[in-house]
Amino acid sequence: MNRRKFFASTGLSAAGLLVTESLFGFNPKDKMVQLTGAPSARYDVVKEMMKYPKIDAHVHCDLGNSNPEAQKKFAEILMEYAERFNIRKLILSKPVTKLIKGVPDASPEAFIDHNNIILGLMKLHPDRLTGSFTFNPIHLKASLEEIKRCVDQGMVGAKTYYQTKISDPSFYPIVEKMIDLKMIIHTHAETQLGVGGYRMKYNGNKPKNVSIPEDFVEIAKRYPEGMFQHAHIGGGGDWEYMCKALKNSPNVYVDTSGSNNEEHMIDFALQQLGEDRLLFGSDNCYYQSVGKILASNLNEAQRKKIFFENFNNILRKGGHHVD
Amino acid sequence: MLIDINAYVGHWPFQQLKYNTCAALLERMNKFGVDISVISNLNGIFYKNTQPANEELIAEIRSNKRFQDRFIPFAVINPIYAGWKDDLDICVNKLGFKGVRIYPKYHDFDIVDPACIELVKRVRDYGLPVAFNFRMVDSRQRSWMDIDYVVATPKPEWNLKNILPIIKAVPDAKYMILNFANNAALNEEEMNLVKKSNLIIDTSGRSITNMADFIKNYGKDKFAFGTHAPILDYLTGQLRIESLRDTEADEATKELLRSGNAKKIMGI
Repeated sequence: MNRRKFFASTGLSAAGLLVTESLFGFNPKDKMVQLTGAPSARYDVVKEMMKYPKIDAHVHCDLGNSNPEAQKKFAEILMEYAERFNIRKLILSKPVTKLIKGVPDASPEAFIDHNNIILGLMKLHPDRLTGSFTFNPIHLKASLEEIKRCVDQGMVGAKTYYQTKISDPSFYPIVEKMIDLKMIIHTHAETQLGVGGYRMKYNGNKPKNVSIPEDFVEIAKRYPEGMFQHAHIGGGGDWEYMCKALKNSPNVYVDTSGSNNEEHMIDFALQQLGEDRLLFGSDNCYYQSVGKILASNLNEAQRKKIFFENFNNILRKGGHHVD
Repeated sequence: MLIDINAYVGHWPFQQLKYNTCAALLERMNKFGVDISVISNLNGIFYKNTQPANEELIAEIRSNKRFQDRFIPFAVINPIYAGWKDDLDICVNKLGFKGVRIYPKYHDFDIVDPACIELVKRVRDYGLPVAFNFRMVDSRQRSWMDIDYVVATPKPEWNLKNILPIIKAVPDAKYMILNFANNAALNEEEMNLVKKSNLIIDTSGRSITNMADFIKNYGKDKFAFGTHAPILDYLTGQLRIESLRDTEADEATKELLRSGNAKKIMGI
């Protein structure tokens, strides 16, 4: 049958949505059914999105760029994002993601440079942008000096990447400092086959010191008064595993950022972790970070908590909250 | 009108899904204003013989008049499995399927395998679209039993360049490209191929980081609303369209994305 004949026989060229009622003994030529579509009211996803002011607890400047002018342009994109999605405050960071021959750049020079970029952007847009400083705890003295420098200039938390596991003893004095400052430590985290100690018979092709949920459980248990932010349950890892592993660590918060927006992620996280430990974040994945929360079954109060109040309560402890 | 060109019912063997029946999906559609969904049975990705999955889907749709009014079924066909030509014929001419989704990675054949080319040509000759996707789930959270195309490894997930060879091989077919999840960069020749092809891309994929830029680069006729439900959340694909500012897309363009482009490629 050629295409012209097919259209003629099925009526698909006619106006309206027509489909053959053809199953199991029905002759497709006997009867046509019109796909009428729903008379459903239009759902206004933008109105719903704009209802909730938000704090983005996990967002970056241009991670691969050290040029200040390029960063200024990128900041304009962030401002546009903030307007479009009703983001009141962006907790901006620039962790050191660079690899040198497959090994993460661990130098103080790198983290100081990265923090300078964030500080520059904070000055450009003080109403919308605040920042998290990065450091590497294996350089203890330099890290503590850098924390003081960044806090003095208005930064409100810490952000670390995959140079050193969050459970590594080198972190202990830093965690103690962060407890004094009443600030949260936000660390990159993954749960992927062959990464960071999880099912290492596979090769996930990642640096060896990526933190996994068990590392957060360990450090959170050692420092119950500390506050830890497990990065992006939507960052691509096994979010069911993450949430279950962190269930009994009440001082570990999770941010919901990341490019993965699986349907049941937010409801499952709520079920496992409760409504006070979930933090909205984008990780610069703007549509899906908002979409997956709006599509969840969270009630109004829970949405307000995840979008804004939970992170604001963390900021409040150090006196850095948003009014 | 909203037509979702990328939805499913059925099971994912490595993770419990919600809203994965016609009844549950219809509730989502009603709640979030979606009029019609193009659906396949996920089970067909995992059955060696895909035809029972197609039969399951039609049986479910046939079980309720409301389903018949709201769902457009696409068959899952594996062109290197015995009897596929008969299956395709039955799907189109007896069961009322309106398109075909093809899974080269899961069904273990090259996208330009002669059998795949023949399948696409046959679907073309029926006047129906074929659909390929970049990926079904994020490979970084894959089960140890799932296929091993993994982001940032020597065997990465697909991007658009991996799908273009079949479009080049059968340029006059109608294509749906689903879950645009990876690198969007194309050279001039590749972009020309995309632009001149009868092809639409659904809005569910993570790589569509700025919908306005994608419309500008690919053209307003190249995108259509899609959710990748029930695997991905139900609203992100819609948000990409509805959050476009008037300066980025006028109402006529938004209507193309909501349903116009989908209607055109499906001939409805």
